[in-house]
Amino acid sequence: MKLAKYLKPYLFFAIISPILMIGEVMADLSLPKLMSYIVDFGIAEGGLEEIVDSGMPYEIMTALFGSDFTQMNVIITFGVMMLLIVLVGGFFGTMCAYTAAKASQGFGHDLRCDAYRRVMSLSIEQTDKFTTGSLVTRMTNDIAMLIELVEMILRMCVRSPMFLIGGTVMLLSLNLKFGVVLLCSLPLLLATLILVLSKSIPLFSTVQKKLDRVNSVVQENVSGARVVKAYVREDYETNRFSTANGELKDINLRVLRLMAIIHPVLNILQNLAIIAIILIGGIDIKNGIAGMSVGSVMAGITYVTQVIMSIMMVTMMFNSISRAIASGKRINEIMDSDPTVKSGLSDGSSDDIAVSFENVSFRYPGTAGEDVLHDINLNIKRGETLAIIGSTGCGKTSLVSLVPRFYDPSAGKVKVGGIDVKDYKLSVLRNKISYVMQKSELFSDTVANNIRWGKEDATLEEIKDAVETAQAKDFVENLPNGYDDYIAEKGASLSGGQKQRLSIARGVIRKPEILIFDDATSALDLVTEAKLRKALHEKMKDTTVIMIAQRIASVKEADRIAVIEDGTIKHCAPHEELMRISETYRDIYDSQMKNGGDISE
Amino acid sequence: MGRPGGQGPGRGGGGPMNARINREKPKNLKRTIGRLFRYIGKSSAILVALLGIMICVTVIDLLGPFFQQKAIDTFKIVGDKTIVDFESLTVYLVIMAIIFVISSVLFYAQGLLSAKLSQSTVFIMRNDLFRKISRLPISYTDNHRHGDIMSRMTNDVENVSNAVSSSITMLFSSIMTLCGAFAMMIYYSWQITLIAILTIPITILVSTNLAKFMRKYFIRQQKLLGKLNGEVEEMVTSYKTVVAYGKEEKAVNNFASESEALRKNSISARVWGSVMGPVMNFLGNFQYVLIAASGGFMMLKGLGITIGAIQAMLQYSKKFTHPINQIANQYSAILTALAAAERIFEIMDSENEVDEGKTEFDAENMKGEIVFKDVDFSYVEGKPVLKKLNLKVEPGQKIAIVGATGSGKTTIVNLLTRFYEINSGTITVDGVDIKDIPKDVLRKFIGIVLQDTVLFCDTIRTNIKYGNDNATEEDIKKATKTSNADRFIERLPEGYDTELTEAGSNLSQGQRQLLAISRAVLADPKILILDEATSSVDTRTEMHIQQAMVNLMKNRTSLIIAHRLSTIRDADVIVVLSGGVIVESGNHEELLALGGEYSKLYSNQFAGIAT
Repeated sequence: MKLAKYLKPYLFFAIISPILMIGEVMADLSLPKLMSYIVDFGIAEGGLEEIVDSGMPYEIMTALFGSDFTQMNVIITFGVMMLLIVLVGGFFGTMCAYTAAKASQGFGHDLRCDAYRRVMSLSIEQTDKFTTGSLVTRMTNDIAMLIELVEMILRMCVRSPMFLIGGTVMLLSLNLKFGVVLLCSLPLLLATLILVLSKSIPLFSTVQKKLDRVNSVVQENVSGARVVKAYVREDYETNRFSTANGELKDINLRVLRLMAIIHPVLNILQNLAIIAIILIGGIDIKNGIAGMSVGSVMAGITYVTQVIMSIMMVTMMFNSISRAIASGKRINEIMDSDPTVKSGLSDGSSDDIAVSFENVSFRYPGTAGEDVLHDINLNIKRGETLAIIGSTGCGKTSLVSLVPRFYDPSAGKVKVGGIDVKDYKLSVLRNKISYVMQKSELFSDTVANNIRWGKEDATLEEIKDAVETAQAKDFVENLPNGYDDYIAEKGASLSGGQKQRLSIARGVIRKPEILIFDDATSALDLVTEAKLRKALHEKMKDTTVIMIAQRIASVKEADRIAVIEDGTIKHCAPHEELMRISETYRDIYDSQMKNGGDISE
Repeated sequence: MGRPGGQGPGRGGGGPMNARINREKPKNLKRTIGRLFRYIGKSSAILVALLGIMICVTVIDLLGPFFQQKAIDTFKIVGDKTIVDFESLTVYLVIMAIIFVISSVLFYAQGLLSAKLSQSTVFIMRNDLFRKISRLPISYTDNHRHGDIMSRMTNDVENVSNAVSSSITMLFSSIMTLCGAFAMMIYYSWQITLIAILTIPITILVSTNLAKFMRKYFIRQQKLLGKLNGEVEEMVTSYKTVVAYGKEEKAVNNFASESEALRKNSISARVWGSVMGPVMNFLGNFQYVLIAASGGFMMLKGLGITIGAIQAMLQYSKKFTHPINQIANQYSAILTALAAAERIFEIMDSENEVDEGKTEFDAENMKGEIVFKDVDFSYVEGKPVLKKLNLKVEPGQKIAIVGATGSGKTTIVNLLTRFYEINSGTITVDGVDIKDIPKDVLRKFIGIVLQDTVLFCDTIRTNIKYGNDNATEEDIKKATKTSNADRFIERLPEGYDTELTEAGSNLSQGQRQLLAISRAVLADPKILILDEATSSVDTRTEMHIQQAMVNLMKNRTSLIIAHRLSTIRDADVIVVLSGGVIVESGNHEELLALGGEYSKLYSNQFAGIAT
C-alpha cells in the first residue's frame, strides 16, 4: 500500500521490534520446559536418577553443585532460572512494545500531519464534498486504526507464525500421527471462523446505520425540544425513539449471537484435540512404539493448544486488517484528491485592483441542472463600493465566492487588476482580500487573537483601531477581560451582532485592497451599520468594497447596486436610477419601506 | 429561536469529544454501582440463568485439569517400560469428551445470555434516558451543551454496555475461578496455600498501582485526542475563513504540535501498558516456584504431602494468577463504565418539568383571553428579565411585542407556554391560572411558529402532521392551501412523500417556514405565537408568506414578535418592552405620534433609509 512509505523513517524500529519479539517468544517457549524439569526432577520420586540421563539439565546441575545435589537444589535452581527468563523475556517484550510504539506512533504522526496538510490544501468544494464529520473521523479514527494495525503487525507478525510453525514442527517431531489431529481440527476451526466473520462483517455497517438513526432522533429532539413540547408530542417521540433503539438492539444481538459461536467451537476443538493426542499417545505406548512417553504426550498437549490459539490470533488479525484496509482507503481518498483550485504564478500588480467578471457562468461542481450564475459581466473600479441585492438563493454568495477563488467559474473569467485570478499565486490573491461572512466563524481563542487572525503581527493599537472601525469597541471593552476575553464554543456567549462586528474587525485589520461583506452586517441595527459604513469610508478610501445585503437601507448609499435575480444581473446602477428602472428593486424597496420611509424623509 | 432573551448561558456546538475527556473517577461509587445493578436486575431471569451457567462453567473449568491428570496418570512406568491402563484411560477420555461438549454448550449459552443481558439493559437504559430527556424542562436543554447530552446518550451508554457484556461477566467468573482454585488448593494443602497466597497482596498492590499509573497516560491520551478532534473540527467547519485569511500553514503547524504531543504520550501509554503483562507473568511464576519449593521442602521434612498434591497445586496456581490478571485489566474499563453510568444517572436525577395542573379546561369553547399580572421573572437569580409585567390580550386580538435584543420578548413566549416558570405574579387564560391547566391541554391550544424552523428527517406529510396526528389527507391539503405551501409541495417530484434530508436542508428557508406554518394551521390553536417567524427569509419571500400569516391569524388571539415593520404594522396593539417592563402600547400610528421609544426603535430599525 501507498501508505507504507510513512513507515520508512522508522524502519530501524520497525525491523528491530520483531527481532526483539523473538526474544520474548523464546522465553515463552522455554518456560514449559523448565517447569517440567522442576516437576520431573525436583518433585517426582526418583527424579534424581532421571536427571542423570537428561543431558542439559544434568550438566547445568553438575556445573553448579558438582555431582552431589538434592532435589531441593533442583527446584531452586530451575525456579530461579525460570524467574530470570521471565525477566529477560519481559524485558524483550517491553522493548518490543517500545520500538513498535515508536514506529507505529511515528508513522501515525507523520501520516496525520501529511493528511491534515492535504486537507488544508483542498478546495472548498472538496471539503464540502467530504463533509466536516467525515474529515474529522478520517483524521482521528481511521488513522488510529492504521496505527493499531502497524503496531499489531510488528508485534504479532513474528509471534503468531513462530508459535504456529514452531508448534506444528515440534508436534510432528514428537509423533507424525499427531499431525492427523491438526489436519482434522484446523480446517474445522478455519471454516467456523471464516463463516462467522464473513457473516458478521457486513452486519457492522448496518449496526453503524442503526446507531446513526438513534443519534439523529436524539439530536432532533434535543435541538427541537421547543417544538416537541409545544405540540405535546413527547409520547410520540418516545415511541419513535423506542423503535429506533429496538432496531439497534436487534442488529447488535444478531452480531453478538454470531460471535458467540467462536468461543465454544474453539473450546471443543481444542479439548477434543487434547483427547485425541492422549488417545493416540496411549495406543502407541500400548503397542510399544519407541519414543512415545508420558512427557511427549504432555508436550503434545501444550503444542496443539499453542497451534490452535495462534490460528485464532491470525484469523483475528485478518479481521483487523480488513477493517484497517477500509480505513486506509478512506485516508488514501484524502491523499489522492488534488486541490481543484490550483495556485498560479503571478504576484500581480499592486496598484490596479479593479475586479471584473467577464461572461462568468457558474454551477456548483458535481451538481447537475441549471447554472447558479449565468453570463455575468461586471466591472468594479478601484475604491468603488458595489452592493449586491436579491432574494435568498439567487446566487449572490456564489458570485462573491469566485473572487478569492473559493470556487472557479465553470465558464468565463474573473479578473483582479486585469489579471485572471487563476494566474495569481493563491496566497497573493487572498492577501489582497478580506472576506467577511454572515455566519461569523470565530475560533476558541481570545478576542485579540481572533482579530489577529487577520494580521498575525498586529499590535494592540492596530487591534483597537480595527475594533473601533468595526463599531465593537464598546462591547469588547465591557467584556470581563476585555481584549483577552476568551471566546468559547465558537462565540456562543456573544450575540449575533457582536460576533459579526468581531469578524468585521478581523477583516478590517489587514487593510485589504478588496473588502467583501457577505451579508456581514445583517445582525447590526441600522444606526450602527451606518456608523460602520462611515468609518470604513473614512479609513479605507482606496479599498474596493463588495457588499451583499438584504436591507435597502444598507445598500442605498453604495456607488452602484447590482440586482441579481435567477443568477443573472438584472440591473446595476445607483439607488435613484434603480428606483426608476428596476421593478424588482422597487418591489424589494416596497416590501421594506411601505408606509415607512415617508415619515423620516 | 430558543434563546431565552439572550440571558441563558451559551450552549450548542461542542461535539461528543468534549464529553469523552471526562473520564474522571466516579464520585459516589457505591450508589452508582447499586443503581447500575438495579438496571441489570430488570432482566433478572436472564441474570439468574447467566449466574447459574457461570457457576457450572467455572466448576467444569476446574474439573478439566483434574481428569486430564487422571488420564495421563494411567500411563505408568514400570521398570523401563511404560504401560497403559487402557480401560480406565478410555473411561477418563469419554468423561473428558462429555465434559467438554457440555462446557461448550454452556459457553455458547453464556455468550448468548450475556449478549442478551447487555443489550436489553442498554435498551431499557436508553429508553428511560430518552423518556427522561423528553420530560425535562426546556431550561435543561437551553443550559446544557447539546453535544454533551448527545454523548451521554451514545458514548456513555455504550461504555456501560461494554462493561455489562464483558467486564462484569469476566469479573464474576474471575472471582469464581479464584474461589474455586483457592478451595482446591486448600483441599490439597493449607500450609502451601498459605505461602502461595503471600503473593496475592503483592499482585494486587502492584497491579492497582501500575493501573493507576497507566490510567494517567490513558486519560492524557483521551484528552489530547479530544483536543486534536476539536482542532480538526474547528478548522474544517471554519474552512472558508481559514482559506480566506491564508492561515492553512498556521493550522497545519498547530495541528502538528498537538499531534506530536499525542505521539509522545501514546508511546508512554503503550510502553506502560505492555509492562503489565510481564510483571504479572513474573508474579505468577514466582508463585509457581514458591509452591514447588515449599512443597519440596515439606516433602523432604516428611510433613505429609504427596507428589500428586504438589503437581495438582502447581496446576491450580496457574488458574489462580490468570483471574487476578484479568481483574487488573478490567479495572480501568469498569471505572470508565461507572463514571459513564454516573453521568447518565445525573440526567435521570434532574427535576422533571412540573405539571401540577388539574383543572378541567374546556379548550373547545375557550375565548382566548390572556392576562399577565405583576409577572416577575429571571433566568439567573439577581438578573431580572421581567419586572412586574402587566399585559392584557383580548380574545381574537393581534398583539405585537417589540423591543431591543435582550428586552424579554421571547421570555413572554417562554412563560405563556410554561417552558419556564414565573417567579411571582400570575398568568391567566380565560381567567384560569395557567399553572392549574394541565400542560398538554395548555400547549395544545397554543400554537407556535419559531424563527428556526424545526423539521424532522421524515416525509413532508409526517412533518405537517406533527401539528395533529389524527389529521386526514384532506385536512393536510386544506392546511397547506391556507399556508400557501401547497403549490411548492405539489411541484416536488414526490409531493407530500418527499423525504426531508438533514432537517430539511433540501428546502429553501422560505419553504421550510411555509411547512412550519402549515403545521400550525393543522394544529388549529386558539392562541397563536409567531416568534420572529419570518426574520430569516428575505423581504420578498416574506411578502409571499405574509398572506399565509394573515390567513393563519384569522379568528385567533395572536402574539407576534418581530423586528420587521411589515410584520407588525397591522397589529391591533403594539407593546414596547424595555428593561423588563412595558414602556408604551398602542397601535402603529398612535405610537409614532407619541414620539417615544417606539418611534426611536422605528427609525433605527426600519426607516434607516433616511440616515
